[in-house]
Amino acid sequence: MTSSTPPKVGIIANPISARDIRRVVASANSVQVADRANIVLRALAALAACGIEEVVMMPERGGIATHVLRGMERSNAQGEARFPRLTHLAMPVTGTVDDTRRAARMMREAGDIAAIIVLGGDGTHRAVVAECGQVPIAGISTGTNNAFPEHREPTITGLATGLAAMGQVPAALAFAANKLIEVRIDGGPPDIALVDVALVTDRFVGARALWRAETFRELYVAFADPEVIGMAAIAGLIEPVTRREPGGLALTLAPAATAPMVVHAPIAPGLVTPVGVESWRRMPSGTVFSPDIAAGSVALDGERELFFDGHQEVTITLQDAAFRTVDVAAVMAFAAREKLLLRHAAPTTHPAPPRAALLAGA
Amino acid sequence: MTNNPFPLSRDELLTAYRTMRTIRDFEERLHVEFAKGDIPGFVHLYAGEEACATGIMMHLTDIDRIASTHRGHGHCIAKGVDVHEMMGEIYGKVTGCCRGKGGSMHIADLSKGMMGANGILGAGAPLICGAGLAAKFRGDGGVGLTFFGDGAANQGTVLESMNLAAIWNLPVIFVVENNGYAESTSVEYATAVDSYVDRAAGFGLPGVTVDGTDFFAVYEAAGEIIKRAREGGGPALLECKTVRFFGHFEGDAQTYKAKGENDHNRAHRDCLKLFGARVTAAGVVSEADLALIDREVAALIDDAVETAKGAPLPGARDLTTDVYVAY
Repeated sequence: MTSSTPPKVGIIANPISARDIRRVVASANSVQVADRANIVLRALAALAACGIEEVVMMPERGGIATHVLRGMERSNAQGEARFPRLTHLAMPVTGTVDDTRRAARMMREAGDIAAIIVLGGDGTHRAVVAECGQVPIAGISTGTNNAFPEHREPTITGLATGLAAMGQVPAALAFAANKLIEVRIDGGPPDIALVDVALVTDRFVGARALWRAETFRELYVAFADPEVIGMAAIAGLIEPVTRREPGGLALTLAPAATAPMVVHAPIAPGLVTPVGVESWRRMPSGTVFSPDIAAGSVALDGERELFFDGHQEVTITLQDAAFRTVDVAAVMAFAAREKLLLRHAAPTTHPAPPRAALLAGA
Repeated sequence: MTNNPFPLSRDELLTAYRTMRTIRDFEERLHVEFAKGDIPGFVHLYAGEEACATGIMMHLTDIDRIASTHRGHGHCIAKGVDVHEMMGEIYGKVTGCCRGKGGSMHIADLSKGMMGANGILGAGAPLICGAGLAAKFRGDGGVGLTFFGDGAANQGTVLESMNLAAIWNLPVIFVVENNGYAESTSVEYATAVDSYVDRAAGFGLPGVTVDGTDFFAVYEAAGEIIKRAREGGGPALLECKTVRFFGHFEGDAQTYKAKGENDHNRAHRDCLKLFGARVTAAGVVSEADLALIDREVAALIDDAVETAKGAPLPGARDLTTDVYVAY
């Protein structure tokens, strides 16, 4: 991205996340399409308030775009004009996770996308990170397992992303480095997890989610916060690991009936279940781990994605500083400290733009 | 088998394969036979969607009721309706399970809990609410499932039934077999919100979407939903995203599909191939096991067709029999 090019922000909103079995086996919520569209509108309004003139969205056919465009048209008809210009990527829509990956790749290749706002759960964020390269992302949780995206009002995420994209906050402060975990089977191309990799005895992906603790055998976490939901909660309640410190944690699990320790962990929304733990150890960055379990499934961020048999070699490696995110808390603290959003009274009947927009020449 | 990583025994896996293979061969054979002009009325083939019916029905017994659709052959077979009687019915013969008076779209066998295929889109949903209410009164743990497609999902009867099932907390499951087309109209065009989980949420029902070409995904999700309903947890919705290999009806030119779409689906989204590859790779069953079933099923379908062709048509004296039920 060149300094002469006005920064754009990308938005990838997955219309199909939060639809899995955890609505039945646990009490996971359903974020409806109209709610997702409202979240996008809130983020768009915040981006405009920071001086972002153009936003590029992933196209989809789930109804988000339709609702967003209606909201923008209604606002424009009322003379509010509080949204940036919105365009959609020119790409085919398959209605699968391939759309998310393709959109992230196109946004990276465009070169003028300063940051990508992502609406979805851990799975959607994982798909974006696999393709976005060093373009920073800002996560908004609308999925089932939301350990990676922080829970926050989307307007605030939009403001922080706008301020960071406009260069109003020093990059060293605005963007944070994140860990991820790579999984390879027989030395093939890596699959990634942003939060955790679980190995379970099921040798089929089935309904994908994990909820039968008796099948859990090994767990590798990039970070483990006692406040997160999902598989990482198991580690977070034993030995917390922050998002920012190097390395992660590797745990050996077992059926609760036979394990020397049992932790009662919230492995899904509303599902606190006993999980047997045999041992745990630190997981340094770059160290290759080979699982003890001979065959089973690999769950990435809580969803079974791959299965492996006894003759296959699985390797698991944590990487520090693998991708960047907008540090919303740091940006908003800086904005308050530097009064970036402080409005000064002006002799006009129109609302004065915030300082960030003025500085950007918007 | 001591090292079986699947949630079904070896025998159950073979049963699942046999059911899916029977549905597939039944439909492929009807595709051929219908073109000869011997079969009266319309047929709507289920080929491609076998994992949906099979993955769900393996959790049911004869006390559980299902209400099917115009594309009901797969539901019938998976629910245990006799293949010879089904074929006889489709040929309009007295050996049919409805004495040849219903045809493809009205196959029923109450002894198996199969309340009937149905030529009216969305008509099964209110019927299954009645079955669910009866099961609730009886307290026998029975459940009711209604199937409908992405097109019928827009019918008022379906939405009204979800509301009724919710307020009465019925042991009823709404199964959307989303094959992407309402006859020839794409789901993206005809449905305001193409997530049927959102529809369910509007009535306070939990909803789950699964890959309907993955038997294990359907089986696992359906198992949890049915168990929940049996235990008094109430109604839910299951959306199976699937594919149909043939047109809406036999004779449909399918001009609304992309070029090569059927070939792609048969190559990459064939639930039988996916299932066979997975269970044999795990070493739980062998290629020979599956080939034996293939041969047995082929012989079964051959015999069903020949028997149906040779059976008599209903006569004038059959006109008023089996039409009304005396209580």
